Amino acid sequence: MSTVDVNCLVGHWPFRKLYKNTFEEVQKIHKANGITSGYVSSLDSIFYNDPFEGDEDLHEIIKGSNYHHVLTINPMLPEFVQDVKDGIKKFGIKGVRIYPGYHGYSLANSKLKELCHVLADYNIPLFLTIRMEDERSDYLVRPNKVHMDEVGSFIGRVPDNKIILLTAFSNELISIKEAINNHRYVRFDTSGLKGPLFAVEKMLEVFPPEKMVYGSLYPLYSFSCTYLTLKHAQIDENIKQEILSCLFLTFT
Amino acid sequence: MIIDIHTHIWAGRYESDKQELMKAAELYDIYRIYVSALKSYYPDEAEISELNFEVAKFIKEQPDIIGGFCYINPSNKDALDVLKKGIEEQDMEGMKLWVAAYCDDPKVFPLVEKCIGYNIPILIHAFHKAVGQLDNESIGSHVTNLARRYPEAKLLMAHLGGNAYNGIKSIRSCPNVWVDISGSIFRRDDVDYTKKLIGTDRIVFGTDMPGSYFTNFGQIEDADLTSEEKQLVYSGNTLKILDRKGRIL
Repeated sequence: MSTVDVNCLVGHWPFRKLYKNTFEEVQKIHKANGITSGYVSSLDSIFYNDPFEGDEDLHEIIKGSNYHHVLTINPMLPEFVQDVKDGIKKFGIKGVRIYPGYHGYSLANSKLKELCHVLADYNIPLFLTIRMEDERSDYLVRPNKVHMDEVGSFIGRVPDNKIILLTAFSNELISIKEAINNHRYVRFDTSGLKGPLFAVEKMLEVFPPEKMVYGSLYPLYSFSCTYLTLKHAQIDENIKQEILSCLFLTFT
Repeated sequence: MIIDIHTHIWAGRYESDKQELMKAAELYDIYRIYVSALKSYYPDEAEISELNFEVAKFIKEQPDIIGGFCYINPSNKDALDVLKKGIEEQDMEGMKLWVAAYCDDPKVFPLVEKCIGYNIPILIHAFHKAVGQLDNESIGSHVTNLARRYPEAKLLMAHLGGNAYNGIKSIRSCPNVWVDISGSIFRRDDVDYTKKLIGTDRIVFGTDMPGSYFTNFGQIEDADLTSEEKQLVYSGNTLKILDRKGRIL
């Protein structure tokens, strides 16, 4: 069975030097830990005036591999719908990733609603980034906080979209547990489960296992932190495998 | 061998925190765990007494696994007596400073001098934050000031100073400052960056349990460290700073 990291990236991060930021490094640590594939997006695209240029580079980097391209979209930019369509056609994208904190818009913005319509039409999952860095270690740029009550309201407005919440903390996810559990297609990744002790076990007391998918935020975050948290969790091995196998992309 | 130099019991959670720490020790094969007890930012004398009592109790219950750091509020009048009791009567092996005062505040000096006399390490919470910096919360530069005033003191700066790029750069020229990697920030490159600036002889394993464990263990596993260097971090350096026979000056 495949094992998948839904939250990995390649490229440069403008605020600090990344030592392992190439696609080869991502593949290397995945392979060493038995991860067979990943949903990868471009760090560069977050900061480019035209994110699509970063995704053109990413396509060249990962084409021919079994990794899935996740396109970065800033819905405040012109013609973003065309970018989605071009991403599907040119790159075969398997997801669209947004960064409302860095790109400075509300989850209630009508452009995001427009994006969600397009994604639902094409059955493309939305990867919603809650954060990239721990806010305490931000440098130079302080992205807007993505408030969880807004996330809860947002997912309630888009019942037909597949959505993966990326790098939300345990307490943040619990604060909107009803919204998550009531939405058939919402998942969250593990990259924000930095604590407490036995975090996976504790989250599975609140959420059914199908809500959780494995994501590392590598290379910004240390891969093994979340991987070992899951690997050593005192839970049924079948559930562990389900979390790692990314069945969420096959749900209907 | 793994020694965790930085864990806590939180006030009101003695039994549950104790159980989780012991469970982690068993599951993750942790050889020894060092605990301090915390509650409020500016604890009064009664609160400090209660917190240290709980640590002493834990040590008595699990002497093979649990060691203790004596928590001090330097602003309290009885601070020196609390330290004396912690080390001489409660079997604690170091002093813990949190956010009640900057670590280079003159109120801290008599305590540091006492620790030098005992030859025990001082675990200093230091955390540079882009948001939410607390009043009197030390950062790397405060640790540096203290280290330069007392080069014979064994200082352990917690959390890599919060943001490692601030904390490690601050203390890199202070050979009497070790750093622990405890806490919930787990960036891929912090340990490699720390190694580049200060080497591996001054990096110590800590977690902040019950806050986290693999958050910290995973960072060491992912870092570009040899197996010998990992052993230094997991326990070798810790044994050195806890060794009361070996003085650094």
